[in-house]
Amino acid sequence: MTRTNVLLVAKREMLQILKMRSFWLTLLILPVALALGPLLGDTLENRDPTRVTIVDRSGGARGAAIEAQFTFDEKRRLLSQLSRYVRRHELQNADPKAPWAQEGQWYGPADIAAFEAAGGLKAALARIARVRPEGVPGFEAAKPDYSFSPPPPALASAPETSFEQTARRFLADEKGDTAPEIVVLVPEAYPADTRVAIYSADDVRTSFVGKLQEVLTADLRMGLLAQSGVTGERAVLVQTIAPTIAIDTPPPGGGAAAKTFVRSIVPLALAYILMMSLMLSGSWMLQGSVEERSNKLIESLLACISPEELMYGKLLGGLAVGLMMITVWAGCAGIAAFATQGAIADFIRPALEPVSSPGIIAAILFFFIAGYIAISAIFVAIGSMADSMSEAQGFMMPVLLLILLPITFLLQAIIAGNNGPIVQILTWVPLWTPFAVLARLGQGIATWELIGTGVLLVVSITAELVLIARLFRASLLATGQRPTLGKVLERLRRSGNSA
Amino acid sequence: MSVLEIRHLVKRFDQLLAVDDLSFSVGAGEIFGFLGGNGAGKTTTLRMVLDILRPTSGSIALFGDAPSRRVASRIGFLPEERGLYSGMSAIETIVYFGRLKGLDEGLARRRGLALLERFELAERAKSRIGDMSKGMAQKVQLATALVNEPDLLMLDEPFSGLDPVNQGLLEEEILSASRRGAAVIFSTHVMQHAERLCDRLLLLRKGRKRFEGTIDEARAQLPARLSAVAKHDLSGLPGVSGAAPSPTDDPEWREWSLQLAPGVDPAQVLEHCTANGIALRRWDQHQASLHDVFVQLVGPEEIKP
Repeated sequence: MTRTNVLLVAKREMLQILKMRSFWLTLLILPVALALGPLLGDTLENRDPTRVTIVDRSGGARGAAIEAQFTFDEKRRLLSQLSRYVRRHELQNADPKAPWAQEGQWYGPADIAAFEAAGGLKAALARIARVRPEGVPGFEAAKPDYSFSPPPPALASAPETSFEQTARRFLADEKGDTAPEIVVLVPEAYPADTRVAIYSADDVRTSFVGKLQEVLTADLRMGLLAQSGVTGERAVLVQTIAPTIAIDTPPPGGGAAAKTFVRSIVPLALAYILMMSLMLSGSWMLQGSVEERSNKLIESLLACISPEELMYGKLLGGLAVGLMMITVWAGCAGIAAFATQGAIADFIRPALEPVSSPGIIAAILFFFIAGYIAISAIFVAIGSMADSMSEAQGFMMPVLLLILLPITFLLQAIIAGNNGPIVQILTWVPLWTPFAVLARLGQGIATWELIGTGVLLVVSITAELVLIARLFRASLLATGQRPTLGKVLERLRRSGNSA
Repeated sequence: MSVLEIRHLVKRFDQLLAVDDLSFSVGAGEIFGFLGGNGAGKTTTLRMVLDILRPTSGSIALFGDAPSRRVASRIGFLPEERGLYSGMSAIETIVYFGRLKGLDEGLARRRGLALLERFELAERAKSRIGDMSKGMAQKVQLATALVNEPDLLMLDEPFSGLDPVNQGLLEEEILSASRRGAAVIFSTHVMQHAERLCDRLLLLRKGRKRFEGTIDEARAQLPARLSAVAKHDLSGLPGVSGAAPSPTDDPEWREWSLQLAPGVDPAQVLEHCTANGIALRRWDQHQASLHDVFVQLVGPEEIKP
């Protein structure tokens, strides 16, 4: 076997794949999808606040209290988000005494009042901007869940007997961006009549009903306390007394589960990319092999080179294409990280941590290339047996299922932080070793296990190549013969019938 | 030294004996016809010479050595089942095969362009094979077999599927390779090509050699047929194995259809008549054609018109 011939075949295979439109499309689809993903995600998540109208016929105080409670909770959420942003980017020195610079606090009315008194979000962002280093992204406040608006006159004046019909008419007006989506009616007889009605065009969130009930219950209790002679500050104290809760959480992304997840992102992505590029280049390699058989090219080729040279050339060509795809994808990721510096780079840094030592990089390269060879060899063998693409796909389906299904379970288990016996077993089965090892790098994998699985993988690939070379050799010229399982096994056994 | 020497070659596929004790040799500059019907073992033999298949027993010496890919650079091969990569251009294809045979890219390209020029395909050098007609693609494939200027050119059913113009072009290439000193082996079951081109030929039937020799020797395998018009009874002539008379317009003269014994030269019979005063009005000699020999030795079902 000569290296020149293997390289010549590999180069031709590579150029053939590079000439395919499907190659360039798939090469570009992943970066484009990744670029569009966040945009689409933003669009999908960019929900406008739900518009709420309260018709309070009991005097107006209860409606105002409900709105005030929702507004307070939104402000607490905003303060909490700002605090997390400040901690993530270590910007506490913008105003160390401000509530958003305090760690581990469940914000109460006093904190919200202090935040508002200091100028609210606008003033806080102005202070933060003074110390924010270049590259740190600005704070983006999430939209509130609910917005409140006064009831339209027709609704406000609708008699209670026909209120539901009137409310439904407003709710049904889907064209307008101002029509209420939830209408709350506090009846005139409240609190003697405690029935509060909610009309909605859609399902009402439990949190909305819960909060509404909380405010109205407090109101009812105030009434009962007053009847019992407890009034003024005492009554308010009974209503509002609550423990001060301190919450100690790790910095954003620093929790155990979050940490494992972040550390597993790059390894899992590597396993996914290995799987995807294998499926793609495998299918192209298959097309090439089938073309050689169906176009009766094989005999001309075998007059010049040995079946082994042809097989290894195909494997090398497929590997080169796979590595090229991954380099382009990694390059796109690098460009994206560079272009968006702060956000992605900040996220990528901890994600790259488990895969940044030279030993682990070497292990990644080894398992990636070994995985590529192990699976591509199967595709080459299938290509050598099939006379047409449809016949090849008939062989491919069961093989793909056999390879992919356990990998899907494996990756899901690793995402869930599960490192149980199935993950362990798949790590030691050579067909799935590369995927399991790559995916587990984030969780941490013992050195002995890396070496052990690596050695087992090399031994298995060697045996696989010997067997597949026999099958390849015996199948090449056997056109028109349907390769039954018996025939395949026979071809795997014999080695001397053809050269 | 023979370019190719085959001794007692046997190839068995499970229960099928594809090649049975076959021996022959081909020398430099010789055009050797490998004739036989379908399934006679021609392609199997050529595949063994190319080291694509291994013999069950017997030996093959190619340039004095056992077949291997080491000598691929000295061989040109045109398979019976032809095809090329449809996405590659004509010149890329020739260069690729040239490089697989050990040529450097520049030389392969120069020779490839010269061959395309000779085959009147220079303008289509950069056309994709998939965009070419079948005849054009076959010429490109012939160029891939010739690009390394082989010392042994093996062509398996080279004329099948070619139009008469391209058949002529191929005949010219075969003669040209032979003039250059290359040994040429081609298999066919079209006798006209063999008669026109072969220095020697071998007839194969069911894997077994039925004949090996020159065209004349092949024809001599069948007894010559004579027709003569004479007054005498010609059935008793020496060398005549059968004689059937038929009357002519002249009651004195009869037309004789004579069958000679194998190996008897018709000239000897004529000489005997002259020497013995046997009057002859007509003497027609019909030498057996290669077609007749093929039908006789290989079987009528194997021949193509």
